[in-house]
Amino acid sequence: MAQQGDLLLQMKGVQKRFGGAIALSGTDLSIRAGEIHALLGENGAGKSTMLKILAGVHVNDGGTISMAGRSFQTGSPQASIEQGIAVIYQEPSLFLDLTLAENVFIGRQPMKGAAIDWTLVQNEAARLFDELGVPLDPKRLARGLSIADQQVVEIAKALSMNANIILMDEPTAALSASEVERLMTVMQSLKAANKAVIFVSHRLDEVFMISDFITVMRDGATVSENSVEQTDMQKVIKEMVGRELTELFPKTEHDIGDVVLEVKDITNPAYFRNISFKVRKGEIVALAGLVGSGRSEVARAIFGIDKYDSGSVEVNGELLQKGSPIVSMERKIALVPEDRRQQGLFMIAGVDRNIAMESFDRLKGKIFLNFKKERTLTETWRDKLSIKFESASDPVDSLSGGNQQKTVLAKWLATNPDILIVDEPTRGIDVGTKAEVHKLIDAAAGEGKAVLMISSELPEVLGMADRIIVMREGHQVAELSRKDATQEKVIAAATTGSKGA
Amino acid sequence: MNSFISRLKPRGREGSLGIILLVTVGITGLINPRFLTGDGTRDLFTSTAVVALLAIGMAPIIIMRHIDLSVASTVGLTAWFIADISAKNPDFTWVQCFIIGPLIGMIVGVLNGLLVAGLRLPSLVVTLGTLYIVRGAVYVISNSVDYNAQEMPPSLLDLGQKVFFGVMPFTFLLVIFAMLITAWFMKYRKAGRDCYAIGSNPHAADLVGLKVFRRTFLAFVFSGAMAGLAGVFYLMRFAQVDSTAFYGQELAVVAAAVIGGVTIAGGSGTTIGATIGALLVQTIQGGLAAIGVDAFWKSAINGLLLIVAIYADRTLARKSERTLLAQRIKERA
Amino acid sequence: MKFKLRFTWDTSILILLVVVWILASLTTDNFLSSINVSQIFSNTSEITIMAFGVIFLIITGEIDLSVASVLALSSSMLGWSYAHGAPIWLAIIIAMVVGSLCGFINGFLVTKVGLGSLAVTIGTLALYRGIANGILGTNTINEFPEFWTGFGFDTIGTSFIPQSLPIIVIFGIGFALLLHNTPFGRRTLAIGQSPEAARFAGINVVKHKIIVFTFTGFMAGVAGVIYTFRFSTAQADNGVGLELLVISACLLGGVSIFGGIGTMWGVIAGVLLAGSVESWLTLREINAQWRTIVTGILLLTSVAAPVLINKAKAAKIRAGNRS
Repeated sequence: MAQQGDLLLQMKGVQKRFGGAIALSGTDLSIRAGEIHALLGENGAGKSTMLKILAGVHVNDGGTISMAGRSFQTGSPQASIEQGIAVIYQEPSLFLDLTLAENVFIGRQPMKGAAIDWTLVQNEAARLFDELGVPLDPKRLARGLSIADQQVVEIAKALSMNANIILMDEPTAALSASEVERLMTVMQSLKAANKAVIFVSHRLDEVFMISDFITVMRDGATVSENSVEQTDMQKVIKEMVGRELTELFPKTEHDIGDVVLEVKDITNPAYFRNISFKVRKGEIVALAGLVGSGRSEVARAIFGIDKYDSGSVEVNGELLQKGSPIVSMERKIALVPEDRRQQGLFMIAGVDRNIAMESFDRLKGKIFLNFKKERTLTETWRDKLSIKFESASDPVDSLSGGNQQKTVLAKWLATNPDILIVDEPTRGIDVGTKAEVHKLIDAAAGEGKAVLMISSELPEVLGMADRIIVMREGHQVAELSRKDATQEKVIAAATTGSKGA
Repeated sequence: MNSFISRLKPRGREGSLGIILLVTVGITGLINPRFLTGDGTRDLFTSTAVVALLAIGMAPIIIMRHIDLSVASTVGLTAWFIADISAKNPDFTWVQCFIIGPLIGMIVGVLNGLLVAGLRLPSLVVTLGTLYIVRGAVYVISNSVDYNAQEMPPSLLDLGQKVFFGVMPFTFLLVIFAMLITAWFMKYRKAGRDCYAIGSNPHAADLVGLKVFRRTFLAFVFSGAMAGLAGVFYLMRFAQVDSTAFYGQELAVVAAAVIGGVTIAGGSGTTIGATIGALLVQTIQGGLAAIGVDAFWKSAINGLLLIVAIYADRTLARKSERTLLAQRIKERA
Repeated sequence: MKFKLRFTWDTSILILLVVVWILASLTTDNFLSSINVSQIFSNTSEITIMAFGVIFLIITGEIDLSVASVLALSSSMLGWSYAHGAPIWLAIIIAMVVGSLCGFINGFLVTKVGLGSLAVTIGTLALYRGIANGILGTNTINEFPEFWTGFGFDTIGTSFIPQSLPIIVIFGIGFALLLHNTPFGRRTLAIGQSPEAARFAGINVVKHKIIVFTFTGFMAGVAGVIYTFRFSTAQADNGVGLELLVISACLLGGVSIFGGIGTMWGVIAGVLLAGSVESWLTLREINAQWRTIVTGILLLTSVAAPVLINKAKAAKIRAGNRS
């Protein structure tokens, strides 16, 4: 059993490349028993890659990892488990057809003679849930369990494996306030049992509330490692961003016209309640808040991917039929979704096919598609957005993240929408392309489009938006104008629901 | 023994299936009293044995989100091969048949397993391919030679006629035996539980470090072995074989398992359910014949049963999903 | 590397087809004779016709195992209604309507009720065949007007072109254009590539799939009509087991069983390859039963080869674009 303060894990100069892209350029991390260690950084800073290396999903290309002083080569999930490393992913992947007890012990069920000792399995699981202070029935199936409860099952699994180091990838992202509170209690009890907890989070208030140490990463490298007393929120934010806000955002002033999109009191009780706002011609409105606060769901509801129970949406003063993306497109709405790989693109299809996807009306004669027009369309948008690819028929899967995102934008801009909704437009793309995307969004507003932007990146929100609407746990908690908005106000509203300092 | 049986006692879906089976048997018996006699029951068991055995072999594969379409061809292959060997070796007995049959089947299973588990090719296509290859092999090897009762080992045919307790043919006794062993294995051995886990969430199975290759491979080998044994059963029942033996019956096996509650999407089902499914199909067929429905409608009824079964499964799953979601919304509000 | 080889499975199957033709005509006397070529075309006509529908379905990520049963049911309905006094044109229309209806029921069960297409069509495979059985029993109807039976069998004038070939060619061109040159075809591919992205792209996935299921049924109905006239027989066990041949032909032609990938010329080459190999074996007087084994081996190759080719190709392009 590790004593408190024993060095459990040390990573030095760890590197990882994916093809030509550098994900980690030299990361250090030291973890001691009985500490809660937060891993911070903007999207794409390399946190997930690091977790995956520790989990044994990826193998590092350079640097050293040692466990309790002994050198350790990662490589398989099994090897990491044997080293006492357990990972709880953002979306836990339980076996939904098995009971909770069995999920805890899958592959390691205690035996009695030749048979699995089911009584012991259930009792042990019940004991672990008890220890974690969570009233879960070990006999129920995992199907239908909330994310928060699924995480608890994963933590119980980690404990049952005698894990010393528990990694959590954005565990609180999809949790409600009471669930977060419960998770923190669980983390404290892990700490008390001399386990080390490493967790990735974007909710700074939580980080400062619970962690002992904070490591900040940027562009694949460790920037700082401090105990929580040695640092503060301001410093951490600075280290995460690492650059001045002003030079990054090309926001220009445009004439703001009439209301184009009006959302009136829409509610879908599973995700959001009573959301109302207006977006005007030439205006960029940001929907800010934490991941899981219901922002993407609002966007999906407006575009018609999901339905809402009550309320209405109006476009140019006329009611928009709900639940139909086709109608929304006819009303000149475009949605660039948050997950470009799953929702925005057809990954195995060519760049040209993807860009043409929404423009068939203009590409076809009476019946057939005009391939020449299609080629012209691809070339036009390739030049306009400077998308880089070898051949137009290359699958978008072969493009870099930034070029993929530009392809999604091209697909929707080609429809010349009046209302452009962009959900996390710069997630996981490099800094240079980010600036280009920002320029594109600004230009769209300049052309008189009404832009609704959802973003988890505060600098982006503050730098781009004319107005900021903050959501928290499905409720609209604040609306800030560009000149009133500060990081502190947005964070405060997003995390505590207070209307600003 | 008592506690062993009580622990294997069909719960949930198997329980309701058992009740449906009993009710069907009862209704059929009311219409045609012969159905409830010893002879009627024995006929039911005799005619279900082959499909039931195959469904038991198929269940773990469907549970793992795969499918094995090659079983009917394998039945044909083993049945013809054994008849051929025994025709040439008159001193052959049932013992050799029971050893050789599963061995031949396992060869097909190994081939399927290597392609599906090793190369990670879709099992639907792979076993469709081996369905052709194995059936083609039977055509080529058999060279249009048929075998009848006089060329088969008398000890095997005698065994096929053997009935226990007046109603239980030897073949179905073995089916029950196989059902209980596999049911126990799937419930009480890690390898069995891994099958459920793999079918429930293949991606997570990799993450957790389950031996996906080995489990998948062995499931196909097992299915092959059961198909080989079913080939022996085929001979015992029909006492004759040609190159088209059991042609095209693979989908009937899948249907029996699915009607027995083995979900085609993987992750749930039991061999007990699969066996009940096979019996249920046979009973309903018998019942409809009893009320005078033409035998020509047999296949239509099979199809309808299958659709009703997956519909019921889907509806139940949706209902519980909706309840859980409503519960969560309430908690959140 | 200057020379960039676009090596995909559907082009390699074309090469394979040509190789088979060359080998077959070198090793047999009359492989490329007009009679034999005519035979190859007319022997594969039902499979080709059904494959035209099924390819769309497999591309959307679904499957239909019931097509051969639909063929039998529409054939039976054709025979039954003709035998019961319907004029032949009406009987043909009934057959096609029945086919479409069967397809629609499949589509409804899969999309609206939300059942898996594999399980559903295993069910309707038995169901449709069973209804055909119930209608006709062991009866066969083979008294059809000569004009129509000739159509299934005879050639055009003195040429070697079977009369059914123009229909196949027309359908082939039509469906090839539909798949490759229209928004409908693009959407079909898109749905198979990513059903979720298709929803975000404003495609009505449910409606689209029902349409594809329905016209797959329609094509199976057409195949039923051709089959009936070609053999001059309407009976319940017409075309038993053809569903697997149709699917094999599609997969041989490079259609991905996971959906999202497939070309019409690939499928046509796939059907012709299977037909040519069979014809070759027959002419060589090799036991005709070998063809079953050859079909199986071709099928396994067709699914294993693209996996390996695509892996290599994707790695190469990715390396190019990321660097």
